[in-house]
Amino acid sequence: MSALTFTLKHRPDQRVDLSPLVPHLLEGLESTQIAALQLQAGKRKARVDELFTISGSDTQAIVIKNSVAKLDFIGKELQDGSIKVEGDAGAYLGFGIKSGEIIVDGNVGLYAGCEMKKGFIKINGNAGDFLGGALPGNKMGMKGGIILVKGNVGERAGDHMRRGNILIEGNAGDYCGSRMTAGTIAVMGQTGRFLGYAMRRGTLLLWNQPQLSASFNDCGAHTLAFLPILFASFRKLNSKFADTSIAFNRVQRYAGDMSEIGRGEVLVKLG
Amino acid sequence: MLTRLSGGLIVDPAQGLNGTLQDVWFRDGLIVSPPESGVLPDADIDVSGKIVMAGAIDIHSHIAGGNVNTARLLLPEQHRNFMARKLGHAFSTAHWSSTETGYRYAQMGYTTVVEPAVLPANALDAHLQMADIPIIDTAGLAILGNDDFLLRLMRGRASQNQINDYVAWTLQATRCLGLKVINAGGANAFKSNVRSFDLDDVVPDYGVSSRQILQTLQRAACEIQLPHPVHVHCNNLGMPGNVDTAIATMEAAQGLPMHLAHIQFYGYGNDGDKGFSSAAAKLIDSFNKHRNITMDVGQVLFGQTVTISGDVIAQYSRRNDASPSKWVMWDAECEGSGGAVPYRYQQKSFVNSLQWLIGLEIFLLAEDPWRLFFTTDHPNGGPFTRYPHLIRLLMDADFRLACMAELNQEAVAMSLLKDLKKEFSLYEIAIMTRTAAARMLGLHDRGHLLPGGIADIAVYSKQADKEAMFTHAHMVFKNGELVVKNGVVQLRLHGCTQTIQAQFDPHIKRDVQAYYNRFYNLSLDNFAVGDVSFNQTDGERFMMHKCGQPYLANTLVETK
Repeated sequence: MSALTFTLKHRPDQRVDLSPLVPHLLEGLESTQIAALQLQAGKRKARVDELFTISGSDTQAIVIKNSVAKLDFIGKELQDGSIKVEGDAGAYLGFGIKSGEIIVDGNVGLYAGCEMKKGFIKINGNAGDFLGGALPGNKMGMKGGIILVKGNVGERAGDHMRRGNILIEGNAGDYCGSRMTAGTIAVMGQTGRFLGYAMRRGTLLLWNQPQLSASFNDCGAHTLAFLPILFASFRKLNSKFADTSIAFNRVQRYAGDMSEIGRGEVLVKLG
Repeated sequence: MLTRLSGGLIVDPAQGLNGTLQDVWFRDGLIVSPPESGVLPDADIDVSGKIVMAGAIDIHSHIAGGNVNTARLLLPEQHRNFMARKLGHAFSTAHWSSTETGYRYAQMGYTTVVEPAVLPANALDAHLQMADIPIIDTAGLAILGNDDFLLRLMRGRASQNQINDYVAWTLQATRCLGLKVINAGGANAFKSNVRSFDLDDVVPDYGVSSRQILQTLQRAACEIQLPHPVHVHCNNLGMPGNVDTAIATMEAAQGLPMHLAHIQFYGYGNDGDKGFSSAAAKLIDSFNKHRNITMDVGQVLFGQTVTISGDVIAQYSRRNDASPSKWVMWDAECEGSGGAVPYRYQQKSFVNSLQWLIGLEIFLLAEDPWRLFFTTDHPNGGPFTRYPHLIRLLMDADFRLACMAELNQEAVAMSLLKDLKKEFSLYEIAIMTRTAAARMLGLHDRGHLLPGGIADIAVYSKQADKEAMFTHAHMVFKNGELVVKNGVVQLRLHGCTQTIQAQFDPHIKRDVQAYYNRFYNLSLDNFAVGDVSFNQTDGERFMMHKCGQPYLANTLVETK
């Protein structure tokens, strides 16, 4: 069986909500039934076959071709199976994903991996603001799983994050790890201002010295035995994070945010 | 255009009609006497077998103003930007948006709703929101009692006349219908780190007690002849044993008219193992002795809601019970304070169950619908959309018992509700939600179906399930226009806002102007309420009512 493939016919004028096109909702549907599903496109509804040509039949492996940044909610609450996006994706990619994996070739918009429960999201381009964050007003962001970004990410990555790993090969914007409750964010590139703003617990693992707020305290240099174990857990990834040469166990440790409970830590690679 | 509603069963306590078969005629938005025989109506609407009442009036529901908007901002999960919304109605999914407020009230047969907490500095905001509420008429009650200007006057031993002028000027400037007092002095004392404030406690730096502030404002309301008695949110809201505060407040009224709001939150004793018990019987005993007092219940209904109040002491003390756990407290310079705390009333909770039981006990024990009004203090006890459920609880004793089986049984065991078999009649519901409500607000043009009244009419299909009956009215007319049919909104009218015309000595304006010049960084003009609506002129938007004697229910005559 070949992957169920949706090829975008033309760039839509309005944003399209793609949340109905996930394996657990399409399972058992005939191709004609899928074609007749309604998608919200701006103010109006559009049939799937009005926007996409459909080929293939394996609903557990979905491919979206010619994807553009106006396609929102790709893989919403994904329960199993995989979604591959060829092109860019819009906001709320993998919103509340519970299992399975989503791979995007291009860039993604705001709130990718928002309130993610488990599973794996890989973004080969850049990601927008609030990566793995919580919706406005909610107090719990990403709760598990892994988000891997090959490019750069916007502001507020990991906002209200609760558990899981966000791995960023590029740079992170301002307020990275803001209001984190727990979890790990690793950034190989540069970080912006207000790193770990109001973080309670959790770990920010950095390769480059950040600009830290006054509410983070320097706790000195440490050799941490858990870091090799953490890096070992990244080996299976197709990423720079899997490379043994980037691993380290000697870090400068900073604790904060002291204007919160201050049990978070920023670990910066030494030497 | 002359319209006849024919064949309906009229329930109108103003005329003593209880299910009487009678036609209702109206022309150009007003109810008229039946014309001479032979005159045919331009439109004849058959409502045979349906219950016909005046449009309902809600005397206490927080539908507009700063706190309401703060609650909307605090709870974005109620109106996510990706939710489908009504086309052409921006923010229509915001709970509760102005559109939703107008539509859902109208669907239940409500045509007038009073926002009971307009902070004078926020009056423009409140009026802009009210102007945006479709279909229903609105009114605001202006808050005084924690403002620096009044407390300065009192500290300086100002004459009662000066205070009367200030109250009357405030009502005129804020375009409000009546006067509200929230925990008199408490919000001001909060700014000096006071965290509990009783009736005889003194506001730091001002040397005046809560009782003095309350009595001064009550006297002002009487002397400038506001038809609606001073609308009081007492001290010690929600505290075990606070029934004594409520009773002391009734005593403090000294025989003059006074309205006590959401009294359920004051029906608490401190007996029992948990130090929390029902004192409804004690409260009602005192209520029966004080015939100058009116009250509304503020019933608690289970589910998610958000509490919003200008009683910052009460709100601050419950901040740790916030669910979801986030809250907002605010202090307004020179004015009052307040807060928004989301809350979920739960059946398994001993306290919440008891609150639910106490509210119903008050309803059923009082047996005086002319003095006791129907509210949930929306959204504090529960959203107004649950009113039909509450009506069913009042009208159906078996349903009450069935609901009680779901509650915390420890609380049920402490309550006498299971022994109260009273069931409200449609007539009593009509008194509480129509006739008495309109009279207490001084709105003589509504709440009845007498000739000369505005044609705000609700038509219901008779049903055994009163919740279903009152959820979707069969028809609702606003100013004679059909706005709801079979529970669906037909027409998006603009309502208007009811205001009172009270007299004052123009000197007070100069004093207030001087005060604003000295203490505010915005000019007094910035707070003025004028040209508030984009769609109506002020002449259309505001409807003036005359001052008159404050409402005193004469129970024996009225219910005959």
